[in-house]
Amino acid sequence: MSSPTPRTAERTPLVPAPVAGVLSIVVPGLGQVLSRQVQRGALIFASAATMAAIFATRIADLGRRAEEGWPTVVRAFERRPFFAVVVLLSLLAIWLIGAWDAYRCAKERRRPVTGVFLFVLLGFFVLGWQISEINVVKMIREAPEALPPLSRVLWPWEAAFEYETEVLGAEAKILAGEGPGPERPPVVEGQPYLRSEPNFGRLSQQDENNRPVLGTRITVTGFDFAPNAATEIWWTDPIGNEFRPREAGEYIIVTTDDNGEFSFEMTMPYQLTPPSAEGPFLHTLDARQITEVGRPRPSEALRLTVARMIETIFMGMMATAFGIIFSIPVSFLAARNIMAGSRLTMAIYFITRTILNIVRSIEPLIWALIAVVWVGLGPFAGIVALTVHSIAALGKLYSEAIEGIDPGPIEAIQATGASRIQTIMFGVIPQMISPFISFSIYRWDINVRMSTVIGLVGGGGIGFLLVQYIRLLDYRSAGIAVWFIAVTVAILDYVSAEIRNRLM
Amino acid sequence: MLEFKELSKTYDDGTEALKRVSFDVQDGEFLVIIGLSGSGKSTLLRCTNRLIDPTSGRIVWNGVDIAALPPKELRPVRRRIGMVFQHFNLVKRLSVMNNVLSGRLGYTDNWSSMTYRFSKEDRDNAMKSLERVGLTAQAFKRASELSGGQQQRVGIARALMQEPEIILADEPVASLDPVLAHTILGYLERLNREDKITVICSLHYLDLVQRYATRVIGLRDGEVVYRGTGEDIRRMTDAEFKEIYGEEAERVSAGPASVQGGAL
Repeated sequence: MSSPTPRTAERTPLVPAPVAGVLSIVVPGLGQVLSRQVQRGALIFASAATMAAIFATRIADLGRRAEEGWPTVVRAFERRPFFAVVVLLSLLAIWLIGAWDAYRCAKERRRPVTGVFLFVLLGFFVLGWQISEINVVKMIREAPEALPPLSRVLWPWEAAFEYETEVLGAEAKILAGEGPGPERPPVVEGQPYLRSEPNFGRLSQQDENNRPVLGTRITVTGFDFAPNAATEIWWTDPIGNEFRPREAGEYIIVTTDDNGEFSFEMTMPYQLTPPSAEGPFLHTLDARQITEVGRPRPSEALRLTVARMIETIFMGMMATAFGIIFSIPVSFLAARNIMAGSRLTMAIYFITRTILNIVRSIEPLIWALIAVVWVGLGPFAGIVALTVHSIAALGKLYSEAIEGIDPGPIEAIQATGASRIQTIMFGVIPQMISPFISFSIYRWDINVRMSTVIGLVGGGGIGFLLVQYIRLLDYRSAGIAVWFIAVTVAILDYVSAEIRNRLM
Repeated sequence: MLEFKELSKTYDDGTEALKRVSFDVQDGEFLVIIGLSGSGKSTLLRCTNRLIDPTSGRIVWNGVDIAALPPKELRPVRRRIGMVFQHFNLVKRLSVMNNVLSGRLGYTDNWSSMTYRFSKEDRDNAMKSLERVGLTAQAFKRASELSGGQQQRVGIARALMQEPEIILADEPVASLDPVLAHTILGYLERLNREDKITVICSLHYLDLVQRYATRVIGLRDGEVVYRGTGEDIRRMTDAEFKEIYGEEAERVSAGPASVQGGAL
C-alpha cells in the first residue's frame, strides 16, 4: 500500500497488448487473465461459455424436428428469429468487445471497457425470456378469458348466502317416437299450464360416424305463470335423469310477459337411454319459476369457510405453541455466548446451528408432504409441519436474542450480591421477554399465513377447502375462501405489528 | 479500611491489567483513580467486589480477604459494596422502582424475588432513595424512558439501597455532559459526607478530580504511578497531569462557574 512501485510490477501484463487481444478472441477472457485481471477474465469466460452452452441447447431444442446438423440450426432461426439473432449478436459482441477489453487491460489503461457486461446482461435477458416461455401477446389477447373466474373470485358474495325457495311450475309429457302424443291434462283455472307442440318427436342422436342428428323442434308455450319472472326449463327422461336442456349451448331460461305467458322453440335433447331400450318413452318437460323467500342465510360454502378459517387460525396457534415450547431449550444450545465455554459445548453449538439451518431451509410445504404420509391427511399433519419449521425458525431467532443480551445489567445485578436465580430473574429475563414475545407473535402470524397454503397438500385448514373449490371450478366459493384468508392475514399482520411495536 | 496488597490480574488473552498494585483506602475517603482507558481502573474496581477474580494478591476489608473468598461467601461482602457504572447498567425494561429495589436482592430470599415481591420496608426505603436523588415522580416509569442523567441517579439510588459502606463508581460521568457530571458527582459527594460512605471513583478529567477528590491514585499500564492528597492534586499543573496521562490528556472547561456559562 505504501509505495506504488510493487503494485505496478504486480500488474505488469504477462503478454503484450495485441497478443492479449488475439488470445481473447481464441478463448474469451484469456487475454484479461494474462493481463493479471484474473477475476475479470474469469467472469467474461464464464459468461460467454454459459451463454454459448445454453444457446446451443436451445437451438437444438427449437430445431429438433429438422434433420441433424445445419438444417436444425436453420429451422431454429426460422422459428425464433429475434431470439436467435439477438443472442448470437450478444455472443459476438462479448467476444469482440472482450478482445478489445483484453487489449486495453494489457495496455494498462485505467478504464477497461464496461460495455462487454452490458452485452452479457442483454444476452442472458433474452435467453431468460425465451427459456421461461414469456408470451406477452397471448397474455394480452386472452385477457378476457381470465375475467369470469377473476370477477367471481373478487366478488363472490352471491354464493355466500342462500334463501328458502318456492317453486311455481308446470309440466308437459312428451313421447319419444311416432305420434300421437300422450293426452294433455285439463287446464285448471289459476294454475300454470305448460304445453308442447307437437308433444311427440325424435330425440337428438349421433349417427354411426358420431355426427349429431338433431331431434324434432318443438314449440313450448306456457300461461298463468307469474308475470315478468325468469323461468328455468328442465327435462326428465323416462328413467329419471333430470337435466336442464340447452339451446345454442346455453341453459334455456325464458322470461314471462306481463300476462305470465311465454313461448319458445327448442330441439329435443340427446337420448340418454340405451338404444336397445324398448317401449313408449314418455319424457317430462317442466318449467320452474323459483322465487327466493325469507331471509338470507349463510350458504354451505360460507359456513364451511368460516369453520375452516377457525381451524386454520388454531392450527397456526397450536404449531406456534409447540414451536415455542421446543425451541426454547434448543435456542440455548444455539446461542454462542452460552455455549462458548469449552470445545464440547462449541461443537454442540455448531451441530445445533447446522441442524436448525437445514430444517429451516426446507419449506413448511415440504414438511407437510412428509407429515401427511406420517400422520395422515388433516390439520394435525399441518400442525406437525408448521411445528417442525417453527422450532428451527424460532430457535434461531431466540438464540440471537440470547446472544444480543446486554451484559451490563447482569453485572450490575450481580454486584448487589444477588444469587444466580435472582440474577436471571432481574438481569436476564426482563431483557429476553420482549424479543421472545415479539418473535413468537411474528411466528404465529407466519404460521397462520402458511397454514392457509399447507392445506393445498392435504395439511387441513382453509387451504384444503380452497384447493377443492378451485378443482371443481367453483370460483365463487373459492373467492369466499380467498377473501377470508386475505382479511384474516391482514388483521393478523396489523395486530402482530401493533403488539410488536408496543413491546419495542 | 480497605487494603489492596500486591494485587495482579492477567486476563486469559495474556493482557496484564494490574501489576502488583498496593494501596489503602481509609473509611470515609473520596478516592479518585485516574488513568487512561485501558490503564486498569475498571479491572481494579471490579476486583474489589469480585465481578472479576484477581490472579494474585489480597484485598483485605474488615479483616476479610475478599480476593480469597469462595463464590458462596461473596454475597454478604457484595451487598455492602454498591456500584455505579459508566453506562448506568439499569435493566431497561423494568420500572425505575424495580431497578432501585434490585439493590435489595442481596438481602432478599430467592422465592420472593421470583415474583418480584419486596417487603413494605424495602419499598418505603426505595421511595426514600428516589427522593434523595429527586426522582420520585419517575418511580413507575420504565427505566428506558429516562434521560442519561436520570438513569445514573437511579443507579445511585440502587447502590444506596444496599446500605453500602463503600460505593465503587466506574467512570460514572463519562457518558454524561459536564453539567450532569457535576450533578452526579455532587450526589456521590453528599453520600460520602453525610452517610460516611467510602467512595472509590474512576474519573477522566482533571477538573473533576480537583473538585471532588480527597485522595488520588494514578494508574498507568496497570501500575500505580501517582499518589496524592486532594491538596496535592489541586496544586498540580497541566504538565504534571500529562506525565500521568501521557500526551493525550485533556481538560474539560468545567468548574461550576464556567459550567453555568456553558449551559446558557
